[in-house]
Amino acid sequence: MGELRKSFHEELDEIQAGIVRMGALVTEAVPRATEALLESNLELAQQLITADDQLDDLSVYLEERCHHVLALQAPMASDLRALSSALRLNAELERSGDLAVNIAKATRRIYGTQYDATLRGVLVRMSEEACRLMRLAIDSYVDGNAGLAAALNDIDDQLDGLNRDCVQAVFQAHNDGAIDLQAAVQLCLISRYYERIGDHAVNIGERVVYMVTGWLPEHTGAARLKIRERNQPEETDEE
Amino acid sequence: MIVALVVVAAVVVLALVGAVAWREHRQFVDAEENRRRDEELHRRFEDEVAESETRLRLSLDAITQGVVMADTAGNVLYRNPYAHQYTEARHGEALVEAAVAELLAEAAQGRVVEREVELFGPPRQCLFVSAMPLRLEGKDHGSVALIDDITEPQRLDAMRRDFVANISHELRTPMGALSLLAETLAGETDPEVVSRLAARVQSEAIRLSDIMDDLLELSRIESNEASERAPVAVQHVIGDALSRIKPAAEEKEVPIQTVLPALDLVVRADRRQLTSAVFNLLDNAVKYSEATRPVRVTARLEGEWVEVEVRDQGYGIPMSHQERIFERFYQVDRSRGRTDGGVGLGLAIVRHVATNHGGEVHVESTEGEGSSFTLAVPVGAQV
Repeated sequence: MGELRKSFHEELDEIQAGIVRMGALVTEAVPRATEALLESNLELAQQLITADDQLDDLSVYLEERCHHVLALQAPMASDLRALSSALRLNAELERSGDLAVNIAKATRRIYGTQYDATLRGVLVRMSEEACRLMRLAIDSYVDGNAGLAAALNDIDDQLDGLNRDCVQAVFQAHNDGAIDLQAAVQLCLISRYYERIGDHAVNIGERVVYMVTGWLPEHTGAARLKIRERNQPEETDEE
Repeated sequence: MIVALVVVAAVVVLALVGAVAWREHRQFVDAEENRRRDEELHRRFEDEVAESETRLRLSLDAITQGVVMADTAGNVLYRNPYAHQYTEARHGEALVEAAVAELLAEAAQGRVVEREVELFGPPRQCLFVSAMPLRLEGKDHGSVALIDDITEPQRLDAMRRDFVANISHELRTPMGALSLLAETLAGETDPEVVSRLAARVQSEAIRLSDIMDDLLELSRIESNEASERAPVAVQHVIGDALSRIKPAAEEKEVPIQTVLPALDLVVRADRRQLTSAVFNLLDNAVKYSEATRPVRVTARLEGEWVEVEVRDQGYGIPMSHQERIFERFYQVDRSRGRTDGGVGLGLAIVRHVATNHGGEVHVESTEGEGSSFTLAVPVGAQV
């Protein structure tokens, strides 16, 4: 039995290493996408689009492995939470990689656009902030740090603010005639992609809190609903 | 008689038994000695093997290159400390470990493989990972992977290539213009056109001469030639630089604000070099600011360091260029550099002055918001 558990925990460690590797692929893809965008580097954009297949492959492999362990070992309590969290993290990271690919594809659509310094500055800061959030999310996962994971939601406010600044800067550049309508729309979408990467990092944080403590933010809402439902019949009786 | 015979026989028998026992005893002692000698030899051999293994391990530990050894099944047997930093790495560096595992698996099939792993970080790194099978006389002994950090060699190589390309370009442009202008002048008779062309010839010649002056200044600072160290008031250094930048700032309508230290803030330095460094920082700030956006120069004492900060609200420097702006002839935006007349030597001069005085120069910049350069020099700067 002891040997069986040992191999089970080795499996868990390997799944965790796989998730960390997916996180690494995402945090490397985001600055690459930004460079492709700002330097109008189509070759780098194409490399990024092709490299996403690696992330997809790893995602499929990890999902199968999680299912395999779930089916054969029937884990319980924290082990079960670790596995179900790995499944969720896998999906969040895979989607974040897709968002970096979306930026690379948008780069191709607006090739040749010249960005003014303000716009470039905001885009670089959004990219750095999205990456920082993703790194913190992975750190909280590896260290099992529920405090850091829970703080990600507040840290994300900065990225949300930058998203608003970016949209404003795009409108301004369009009004000044520096960029055409198509570029303006694409740039607003790109800004949204960075912001969404931040949201996925926050989701990872929520799952890490669940993994460590067994609690999800949705539990509060569910508890509220139960209280309402319990109180409802009593109120009608009174009437 | 019989008794005597019996006694003799007994003595003979005893002597024989004694001799046999003695021989057996000797054989036993000899065997014991041989065994002890063998054991001693064996122990010494084992010690030597252990010693040699320790020596080999310590040598591998000392290498500033990652070494990972695996057995024939691909299980990692040994990692030196340099390679160890990647085993539990997160973020980009986790990809190095994955690359090592993949290459070791390929090397186990008998192939020599290599791969460049470029990490955007931050910090940006480029690693060269190679793996090869370990084979001796047809027998497999597993495989080994090596991790090499080639970030710095790559950067130096790019710098050398750019330097040669840039210096030829910077010199060729005014030379080409001079040659064309001279050709046009030769066939021109209209005095008005001649005078306009002559003015152009002069401005191109001044441009060439400026490049030469900057190059000479840089080479002088680099070789630390005629560096005179004397107590200099920081206020005087800034004052000199301000009077040099004043005409350009007024022409571009860029106001310069100053926060000067007390007159008694003195630094032991080469006044000419320090003035040149502050002037170059101011020159860049003015060059890359729009009209009415102020440039602020502040000097202060921070512990044992005198810091001169030049802050502007100009175009700012893209993140990807910030590491390279101190290189000779490096320009962020070539088209803008050309119209503003910069050749990309200013910051190289600043960095060398800082290094000569045992100090350093830092940059903080956000595109669209401006830049801040801080030159820090120790108060009692020693040669």
